[in-house]
Amino acid sequence: MHGRLSFYVRRDSAIHHLNPLTKVVLALSIILVAFIAPWDWTATLLFFLVIVPLCFAGKVSREFFRSATRLIIPASGFIFIMQAFFQPVGQDIIFKFWFLDVTQESLIFAFRTSTRIAVMISSFTFFLLTTHPSELMSDLTRRGLPGQFAYVIISSLQILPQMQAKAQTIISAQRSRGLDTESTFLKRAGAIVPLVGPLVFGSLVEVEERAIAIEARGFTSTHKKTSLQNIADSGMDKIMRWVLLGLVITTLVLNIWLS
Amino acid sequence: MRIEIKDLQFSYPAGVQALDNISLIIESGEQVAIVGQNGAGKTTLVRHFNGLLQPTSGEIKIGDWNTRKQSVAKLASRIGYVFQNPDEQLFSRNVKTEVAFGPKNLGYSNEQVEALINEALEMTELSNETETNPYDLSPTWRKMVAIASIIAMDTPIVIFDEPTTGQDAANIARIANVIKTLRERGKTVITITHDIDFCAENFERVIAMAKGKILLDGKANEILGQEEILATTYVDPPQLTRLGKKLGLKSTIINEAEFLNSI
Amino acid sequence: MAIVNLQNVTYKYPLTDSPALQNINLQVKEGEFLAVIGPNGAGKSTLCYTLAGFVPHFFKGELTGTVEVASQESSKSNLSEWVLNVGLAFQNPFNQISGAKFTVFEEIAFGLENTGVPRDEMKVRVEDAMKLTEISDLADRSPYSLSGGQQQRVALTSILVMQPKVLVLDEPTSQMDPIGTREVFGVIRTMAEKGMTVVLVEHKVEWIANFADRVVALHEGQIILDGKPREVLTSDALLDKGFGISRYTSVARKAKEQGLWNKADLPITLGEAVEGFRK
Repeated sequence: MHGRLSFYVRRDSAIHHLNPLTKVVLALSIILVAFIAPWDWTATLLFFLVIVPLCFAGKVSREFFRSATRLIIPASGFIFIMQAFFQPVGQDIIFKFWFLDVTQESLIFAFRTSTRIAVMISSFTFFLLTTHPSELMSDLTRRGLPGQFAYVIISSLQILPQMQAKAQTIISAQRSRGLDTESTFLKRAGAIVPLVGPLVFGSLVEVEERAIAIEARGFTSTHKKTSLQNIADSGMDKIMRWVLLGLVITTLVLNIWLS
Repeated sequence: MRIEIKDLQFSYPAGVQALDNISLIIESGEQVAIVGQNGAGKTTLVRHFNGLLQPTSGEIKIGDWNTRKQSVAKLASRIGYVFQNPDEQLFSRNVKTEVAFGPKNLGYSNEQVEALINEALEMTELSNETETNPYDLSPTWRKMVAIASIIAMDTPIVIFDEPTTGQDAANIARIANVIKTLRERGKTVITITHDIDFCAENFERVIAMAKGKILLDGKANEILGQEEILATTYVDPPQLTRLGKKLGLKSTIINEAEFLNSI
Repeated sequence: MAIVNLQNVTYKYPLTDSPALQNINLQVKEGEFLAVIGPNGAGKSTLCYTLAGFVPHFFKGELTGTVEVASQESSKSNLSEWVLNVGLAFQNPFNQISGAKFTVFEEIAFGLENTGVPRDEMKVRVEDAMKLTEISDLADRSPYSLSGGQQQRVALTSILVMQPKVLVLDEPTSQMDPIGTREVFGVIRTMAEKGMTVVLVEHKVEWIANFADRVVALHEGQIILDGKPREVLTSDALLDKGFGISRYTSVARKAKEQGLWNKADLPITLGEAVEGFRK
């Protein structure tokens, strides 16, 4: 049984070849610019003129659009409606729906907020689709992130799906002892302890064994760690990161200057 | 309580066919071992008995109950299922509460539960550990707690899924003893096992499965001598059977007593 | 030359009253294949942890006596250095997979990354180790997509690639099906034949009888027997203590009582049993 919590899609693209840290900076910069810029339409422009082309450049457009229809559009659509109806700003009522007012101001506010959220989710999605978690963690570790931290994150990606399988077996075992998981809500609520108990205790046993196993492979060694993979950090990467930082700072300055 | 399986077909949602036209009758009180390589369908078959899995087509009856028409919780009153890993079952603060879980779910009165627990703990040599937290016990004894928890449900049919995996000789003997007692009480005992010696010494009927089908089904001393067929599902004959064969003994040997009588 | 030397080793886990190991004196020669047998609770796993340095560094508790491997003492070393001396693998293959790597190749390299082995050397060592344990075809697979036997072989390879001086295996086939058992024993046999010093804790007495150089019987924390497989596995001292006895030995013992076994020694393998019973 195997599964993995990972959005990463393996492709041979210019984006995939970028250093992982560069991609982090890229994704974060897009989000920061969307939120800091003082204009209402920045987020929308960023989405269509930056993120979407990047996805094509990264050859992950199909996966991105699948994510867009499943997550990005519904999420931002929901926020738009919430903000449009429930944000108490403005006098210029455009229409009423029952007891809810939609004003021009609230529409603009809703537009701004929902497009920013859309940019945030899409930027993350783009990042996850094009960045291998192991490579990211290896690179960050090389730059000084504690090894234990990286280990916890990566191993969770693989071990959590396994725990799901374990949970299924526990449910089966307890049902076989007459635990009622099919009838009333109250009975199902009472079923929590017999289901969570073995999961937690069993996992503690496993965690200790795994700690011994990784210790047996030098995990706590104080040697400088080496890496099987050679993760390149080209001059181009470094320049890009500085340029992106510059863009964020420029946006911040513009924001302060224009307000 | 009879188990009757008619034309059972089962495919997993992903499309893999796990059971291919199984028909089988297990009479009340029979002791049956199911053997065969991993992926043959042993666990898949046995999970149909207590309703954990429902057939894609075909029917299973436990006594007069059709498994399609009863919930797993209800079927638990007729089928006790001891899972392979006790840690996937144990959650209570002490052994007594743990063992009481099953019978309480089945609706026994407090006095009945008390009696059932005491009996189960005696059979599994745990009478002195009622107040102990199961996780303070070694894996050996956690296994016995898990077994006690199912025995206490006093079901007419008991299923053991790989009971001897990871156990030492002493615990295997304890488990064999439990099975013997269940047999003496007229219970139907079904086990899935890789331990062919354990199978030979404790079970009168052997079903060998491969690729979702039943390959062989009959008395232990008829089945366990069929080396070539068993080899196709990666089952080696028991050690004494092999010894008997090499010595040219006429009948298939399945335990020490038979061997000593034959030479 | 003894590569492993335990002198008067006694160990108590924290918060326990009785010692898990009592007065253990054990030497293992370089290249020797030592099997350890005993009922559950006898201290076999504790012995493995002691050899591998987890006792006392990981488990704390009270350890007295000396534990020496290749002239180094475990109590005077760092655990992260000691694991380069003694490799440890145990029962559950799933818990031995780090979870930090997405392919088998990377998984095996994990230990080499942790100990700072240069990249080129790493690749060669991993490839060689995989060839030895015959898992080269699994290199690109996810460790979680493998069968139990395959996972256990990956776990073994991950330890072997670190080139320990002694390999300690705590019931590596207990959770395996017959195929997995065969695969794992195959790897162990290969390593033993290559001259690796192996300490194997096992219940499957028949396999030990065929391949071990020496057997040690552990009971309630103490060594009660230490000698050649034949001496130990047929000894009456093993009776009624919860030890697993080979069925060939057991049936011959009963046959001897009935006058049906005439040889002086009891058999420990199928071949010996056949020979002895042929009239």
